[in-house]
Amino acid sequence: MTPQERDLGLLLRLQARDESALASLYDAYGGLVYGVALRITSAGADAEDVAQEAWLQVWRQAASYDARRGTVAAWLLTVARSRALDRVRSLGSRRRAEDAAGQEFDPVTTASPQTATVQSQLRTQLEAALAELQPEQRQVLELAYYGGLSQSQIAARLERPLGTVKSWSRQGLQRLRELVPREPWA
Amino acid sequence: VTVHHDEHLDLCAGLALGNLDVGDRERLEAHLAGGCPKCEAALAEYTAAVTCLAAAAPAVEPPPALRERVLQAARESAATPAPRPAMPRPTSIDARRESRRGSTGWLWGRVAAAACLALALWSWRDAARLRSELRAQQTRIATLESQRADLEERLAAEKRWVSVVSAADARVAALAATPDGDPAVRARAIVDPHANRVVIAFSNLHVPTGRDYQLWAIRAGKPRSLGLVHADPAGDAVLQLELPDAASVQAIAVSLEPTGGAPTPDAPTGPVVMVGAIGG
Repeated sequence: MTPQERDLGLLLRLQARDESALASLYDAYGGLVYGVALRITSAGADAEDVAQEAWLQVWRQAASYDARRGTVAAWLLTVARSRALDRVRSLGSRRRAEDAAGQEFDPVTTASPQTATVQSQLRTQLEAALAELQPEQRQVLELAYYGGLSQSQIAARLERPLGTVKSWSRQGLQRLRELVPREPWA
Repeated sequence: VTVHHDEHLDLCAGLALGNLDVGDRERLEAHLAGGCPKCEAALAEYTAAVTCLAAAAPAVEPPPALRERVLQAARESAATPAPRPAMPRPTSIDARRESRRGSTGWLWGRVAAAACLALALWSWRDAARLRSELRAQQTRIATLESQRADLEERLAAEKRWVSVVSAADARVAALAATPDGDPAVRARAIVDPHANRVVIAFSNLHVPTGRDYQLWAIRAGKPRSLGLVHADPAGDAVLQLELPDAASVQAIAVSLEPTGGAPTPDAPTGPVVMVGAIGG
């Protein structure tokens, strides 16, 4: 069974309000969801609230997942990112999301033992791929994904034409895809 | 239908990143609405790349207490009046949609009635009392609004499944009981080979104690598990499943397995109790 097949099964059980399926999904992706929440909010307490909101949304809206638009893991990440960006925007001036975009975090602890090896291998591979990108491509992708900036906001911030930002976005994603041909958790 | 330009691919990257400006997003959505295989393929690639980007974030072990908080919140959310039964009855999907709309209408009726009551109270209750009433109503409306949003999400999901049943080239299979099976069970599968989805409805399906029914897709003579079939106490079950490469599925079968199902997803261990070939 591929991870995606397993996750689809868990999602069907979520739709039937099977709480143990939520626990299984959390055990598989809890660190990932929290990691994205922490990277965007850059505050532990906010990240916890955001992660909880995200998981509750997954629980309540499992039926809205559409397999044609990506893997279950990708959907979880999308939900976590949206909730985290909402949180940062509602906090307004206290903490700007774009400041978090370029920021590095030291992992507080490593992931749980059963998933640590696979996830750390995957991350090493992905980090290497990101390092291969042109710096401006990587910056545009991170400002978009973690900073929640629109393309025109990025253009203004980097003082570049909008068309350039659009091309960098596409080139960055294309290059990332070439470097990592297999989607994580597919 | 707008003609494909390479500029659309740039916009697809922005859509996958979720950061297109409004005008660009509307332009791309109008283009995609007309169907564009090039853009759809690119969008899938870019979406996968965005997942890679997210997965490169340092995985941080969440505080251990968070797991229990999440599960507790889910339990509490499940304890509030559930807008949907655990397993939908195999009434027609239209009927289910109708009943849901009905229950939302009822909820809004309650709000309206409560608002009238609040007005009637004006004549003899003091203002402080009325303010607290108002706060309670606002909370209730907020709750109802979130329930309504939930229902709309669900309805949108149901519509995607309705399209399976009404697809022009949907393939139908009536599952028949084998000599090992219970001839009282009725089951029908509808496969949409393009959307790669299948809807299967069972009635009179009663699971023997200590056993589970497991569903299988047969491709090139080989079974692949589609999961367990859980019927409600009346023996009814409707399953809506993603079925990768649906066009290659030759038959759908049900086997009787130990509780929890067969240990491996490609080998039924118990007797096959129902089977149906997928018609053209």
